[in-house]
Amino acid sequence: MSRSADRPSLAVEADPDEGERAVPSRDADERGYRSYEIYQRRRITESSPDILPRHLWSDRYLDDPYGLVGALREHGPCYRDWAGNAFWVTRYDDVTSVLVDDANFETRTWRWSFDLHRRGRDLGRHVPVMQAEADVWDADAADVAERLVARALGAEGEVALGVADRLAAELECRVLGLDPDDWPWFVSTVGRLRNAGMADPAGRASALSAFDELAARFDRLVDERRGDDGADLISVAARLELDRPVGGDDIAATVVEADPQTLPGSMANLWFLLATHPGHAERIVDDRRLVVAGWLEAVRHSPPVVAAERWARHEVERFGQLLPEGARVICSVAAANRDPRIFGDPDTFDPFRLDLCQREPRGHHRADGLAAGVVPALGPPSLFPAVPEDRPRSRYARVRDVAVVATGALLDRVGVPALADPEAARPSASRLGGPHRSWELVVERT
Amino acid sequence: MVGAADPLDVALAEGRRAERARLDVPLQPLGTAYDMGTAPDGTPLFDARIFSTREFQRNPYPYYRILQDHYPVFHDVQHNAYYVTRFEDVTACYFDEAGFNTIPKGSSSGVLGNTQLELSGIEHRRRRNIYGRHLIGKALDRRLFAIRELADELIERFAGPEPADFVHVDPATGRRTIELGQAFANEFPIRVVCQVLGIPDDAQDRFFWWYSAMMRGLGGSDTAHEGITARQDLEDYVTELVELRRREPGHLIDDGGEIIGLDIISELCRSEIDGAVMSTEEITSNIALIVGGGGETTRGAILNLWYLLLQHPEQFATVVADPDRFLQAFHEALRHSSSVGGQPRQNSHEITLHGVTIPAGSLIHMVDFAANHDERVFEEPERFDIDRVDLYWEKLLRSGYDSEGRRNHMAFGVGPHLCPGAWISQQETVVGSQVLAERITEVRIEAERMPTDIDGSLAPIGTGAIRELWISFEPITS
Repeated sequence: MSRSADRPSLAVEADPDEGERAVPSRDADERGYRSYEIYQRRRITESSPDILPRHLWSDRYLDDPYGLVGALREHGPCYRDWAGNAFWVTRYDDVTSVLVDDANFETRTWRWSFDLHRRGRDLGRHVPVMQAEADVWDADAADVAERLVARALGAEGEVALGVADRLAAELECRVLGLDPDDWPWFVSTVGRLRNAGMADPAGRASALSAFDELAARFDRLVDERRGDDGADLISVAARLELDRPVGGDDIAATVVEADPQTLPGSMANLWFLLATHPGHAERIVDDRRLVVAGWLEAVRHSPPVVAAERWARHEVERFGQLLPEGARVICSVAAANRDPRIFGDPDTFDPFRLDLCQREPRGHHRADGLAAGVVPALGPPSLFPAVPEDRPRSRYARVRDVAVVATGALLDRVGVPALADPEAARPSASRLGGPHRSWELVVERT
Repeated sequence: MVGAADPLDVALAEGRRAERARLDVPLQPLGTAYDMGTAPDGTPLFDARIFSTREFQRNPYPYYRILQDHYPVFHDVQHNAYYVTRFEDVTACYFDEAGFNTIPKGSSSGVLGNTQLELSGIEHRRRRNIYGRHLIGKALDRRLFAIRELADELIERFAGPEPADFVHVDPATGRRTIELGQAFANEFPIRVVCQVLGIPDDAQDRFFWWYSAMMRGLGGSDTAHEGITARQDLEDYVTELVELRRREPGHLIDDGGEIIGLDIISELCRSEIDGAVMSTEEITSNIALIVGGGGETTRGAILNLWYLLLQHPEQFATVVADPDRFLQAFHEALRHSSSVGGQPRQNSHEITLHGVTIPAGSLIHMVDFAANHDERVFEEPERFDIDRVDLYWEKLLRSGYDSEGRRNHMAFGVGPHLCPGAWISQQETVVGSQVLAERITEVRIEAERMPTDIDGSLAPIGTGAIRELWISFEPITS
């Protein structure tokens, strides 16, 4: 056993937009875990027989997290979970305060959990890269959605995999400028990365080799496109002037760090909610301008990403607890988005509710003084959603707009959607950290 | 499925199947691990989700063996913790008081309150020394008569001429059937502890609930709420007693009626830490620690010992013929199946162990279960054998034991945080078992009342202690 002198930093690479806000890492000698007591005995009111720690890591949580995290929210706003060695933050104001607090809490990337955090740089925040994605989505989303909806309804009517997932996949392939013959290869390779649970060693090994395969292929593509003036993401990234030239690793990192879940997940959940709330759906079918209200309420009521992890950069006292350096903080979006302190009748899906912000959230997830559903994984809400013309819209806005376009295409064809088997369509998750969404939506053709 | 022939749809559907797969582990034959896959270089893979399966609870050792052989420091990313499983590593970590803080802050205090469990160094020693000496050495030897008396009193209820209501007597044969926990093991350890604490007999009915609930509620476990409730109830009860003992100290006496010293609560009332007497809250926390630590663990030790001995009749016959050998059997039972699985630790600074770098402040599980079944130390570790030559079982040593091929077991830990109740627990189990063996004969496990394994045999102990032990016997009439 040796005391290691060279401490590898766990922090992710600096965010180009973050610049000076990043907190400098303290000297290694200053670090060390304090040994004096920092706790207080819990009182009965802070615990509840309604929730057992095991539940948070069980199939029950995967199937329906809302009851469990709701119990946490009401009994202990910062719950010390020893089973997962984490602190669960569950109230809306607390969750949003952690998510915007880059000074005290760091985000660890997907690559970090696979020990790949030294592989590649996430280029997703560079303006030309964002622009490359926005341009393709704006140009192609409507046509692709139209075609996929028609195709699905011409077959068995399955729109979760057949439209939502496929639309996201096709757009991603187009953004990268991949040859259509390579799309299946790309989707299955990147799927091995994204579908791997943290605990599953075989999936993990497969994910690591998939990363290598992606990086190798992208290496070739970057070389081929370095000189050209293409508008696809790889060409644009190859032209970036960074401290070292962009390589295949960087493109692979950018691809895996881009949130793949919110776009298809939010569409699938919205369609499930519309199908199970025909009264609301009817109003939206009649007035297509209301689709966006449906999406905003869907991501509040049933967010596809139900929790976001942050890690304490240093010891910090919050929510009546001392969070030690390196503490894992799980921000439960599922609990926050149904916090009765913020939203009236929070368990009800109501696109026309008056207490939900109808704009892109800003800063502390609020705009116009109203709270928005927390949608993690798309980057922090911009302080300036009304972006200058030379900048692309935020990822949040792009995901929202594609979802709205695709939903419009579906409603055009089917009116108020009716499901062949609503029970099979009920949202659930398959693994911890995986999306909580509707997986199988067979729409009855009218 | 739309357009199944379309390669992109096929790729998406394939990804979906992988995404939707959950881990489902069928129960395996004992000693065989479920196949979690193999790395290209032949190393068996380890899926941390196994820890929460029923299969692991009953059949943990083949999985610990994979960790010991291939992942001596295992990082469980999902549960944000590390596991140390080899005997040598666990020993080194337990002795490294500067490098490893004790139980992570707050993990047990939710139930117990502010106790020495979560302290290190001088702060730990000051508190521990206040009552540690009551549980050890001469003070303990002078109390052995009381332990024996208590055992006699309890055993009389089911082995005496007038069996209590909970004893089932077969009218034809006269054989008696009891659940050993209910009849003896649940109550015996705590009555011993009550005496040294100086708690009156009237509270003893609630003690089983207090200690079992508090013990099960530690570490933020599933029963944390029940543990906190029990702790509150204990606090409500002892607050008055503590105030009384501040004014009128109670004493422990030996069999000659001579005063040995103050009982533990009176000692706590009188003691000062850093120049100030302890608050009632602090004293209650210490009582909770003694009650929790002194009850459940010894209950489990007695039941596990008898369960193992009765499944090995020739070894049982040996200890009955020579009751002094119950000591050896006690230690082998603890090595084979102890009631406490291990201790969590947090490292004070970053360490690198077996090539794994553990950042400061990480949660590290020292797995005593695994260390006790480490093939590097104990030959054929799954074999229960009171005659084994590689286990040291004599005088309990804080330093551990490593000489002439014999090692201590890890059930009490080693080093500064060695279980302070180890000595008294040993006396309770050994003396209690000796008295029991003097009073009952022809003892058999009532197999049809016990849980069974997949092959129909008696269920293995697995992790933790058995809950119930149904036995039938014939009383020895003197």
